[in-house]
Amino acid sequence: MNARISLAIWSLFGAAVVVFMLTPLVLLVLFSFGRNALTAFPMGGLTFDWYRKLLTNDTFWGAAENSAIVALSVGVCSTAVGTMAALVLARLPGRISNPLLLQLGAPVMLPALFIGVALMSTLRLALDLNLGLPTVVLGHLVITQPFVILIVHARMVGFDHALIESARDLGASPLQAFFTVTLPIVRATIVGAGLIAVAVSLDDFIITFFTIGSGNTIPTLVWSMVRTSLDPSINASATILIALTMGMTVLALYFSRYRG
Amino acid sequence: MTNLRRWLPVAPAALIYLSAFALPVLFFFVLSFWSARAMRIRRDFTFDNYIETWQKYADVIGSTIVIALQTAVVTTVIAFAFAYLIRFRAGRFGLPLLFITLLTLFGGYLVKIYAWKAILGREGILNSALQTIGLIDEPLNIFIYNSGAVIATLTHFLLPLAVLPIYGSLRAIEDDLIEAARDLGAARRQAFRDVVLPLCQPGLLTAFALSFLIAAGDYVTPRFVGGTGTAMIGDFIEQQFSLRFDWPMGSAMSFSTLAASVLVIVLVGLALRAGVRR
Repeated sequence: MNARISLAIWSLFGAAVVVFMLTPLVLLVLFSFGRNALTAFPMGGLTFDWYRKLLTNDTFWGAAENSAIVALSVGVCSTAVGTMAALVLARLPGRISNPLLLQLGAPVMLPALFIGVALMSTLRLALDLNLGLPTVVLGHLVITQPFVILIVHARMVGFDHALIESARDLGASPLQAFFTVTLPIVRATIVGAGLIAVAVSLDDFIITFFTIGSGNTIPTLVWSMVRTSLDPSINASATILIALTMGMTVLALYFSRYRG
Repeated sequence: MTNLRRWLPVAPAALIYLSAFALPVLFFFVLSFWSARAMRIRRDFTFDNYIETWQKYADVIGSTIVIALQTAVVTTVIAFAFAYLIRFRAGRFGLPLLFITLLTLFGGYLVKIYAWKAILGREGILNSALQTIGLIDEPLNIFIYNSGAVIATLTHFLLPLAVLPIYGSLRAIEDDLIEAARDLGAARRQAFRDVVLPLCQPGLLTAFALSFLIAAGDYVTPRFVGGTGTAMIGDFIEQQFSLRFDWPMGSAMSFSTLAASVLVIVLVGLALRAGVRR
């Protein structure tokens, strides 16, 4: 009897947390298809008008293009840079690698506002650089490379380094050993880590806001829509943003065959 | 030489870390001792920004700490229970629950905050739903623009982030270890207190520190769903950069808040250690 009560309580709690996590997002998606211009009940009939309105808007396409450029650059660079670092760190003893991992991960622990304004001040005042997409990419690399490093490092810690030693003994150069032995084994993890970097980049609003100068990405566009108007296509653009970032995460989990 | 070549692959990551994080933070710190007059930055050396921060914004920093503390406690407790459920109680449902957590982690920071504004607002989803089913006649103003709305919203986007480190700690605990404790006569509650809790203490502190720091530095949440009673320092810091162009002041406010936050986290860490040791 006691066990049954405890099971019921745990089930109820688990369900409540899942509902809490998902409901706000599900509601936005739902209302993006509703005819009512206010985000409120009754929703009105089913409509694609808000999407049609958004997709015929040049500002949206400009933002989407910027988001794509930034996310792809960040994805490629962050994956390459993070993987290289993780491969070296995974071969070091924990007492050396753990503090380094913590150090490199520090940007993820601080508020994005802090990183954003620190980076912007340095770029504008100390270096007198103009802000633009390259500076956004730089800002995103700082917050995405920790994810790549941590994910690839976690996979490499259980890796049998004797495999690489044998390849090297058989005359392979370090690069050859990487491409013929290491990469085929951990490719899925690396792809997964790269997709997470893309998701984080696509989703970032605060650092982008401070480092882009002029122009928009999808999150900064959503921000200006929320602030300036009660444009009902906000829900449509929010839904597109959710679909993009969560889509990347789903792909990442699928590729890396996530098993907990 | 061979040593240098072994470290070479870390160089790009270290370069990004230094050029776009460590050195900017250092410069940003120096900036807090400069001054701004009529929108021009003067490179002098003064403590005025810090003095002004504590004269003008001490109460805002205080209320920020209170909200961040409430948020971090609520988030860490729910995250711990949820991670415990995934690890020990959910069985084959554990993996789907973890999947949902990861799914909501990397997507929709801004979208989540906006969603809460849309749900809790006067013309929002909650009020209109209650009116539709006839529970209320007039929309209620009690849902939004108060600390409850701010804490709920912050908890919503921090929860997945807090679950992961705790789950990581719990996963590292071997089932054998708990069974051994049970075999030696420990009741379930005792095994939990003497084995599980001490071993997941690092995860708990990481989750708390992450939630606290990010909550204390957020400005989008108070601006969307906060009210007059829920002033948060992030909002004022952001304004120094976007409206007032007093960057040295914004920098001093940032470092003051960071120092206060680190102090709180250290104290909570010590309290947690003392509590778990008992």
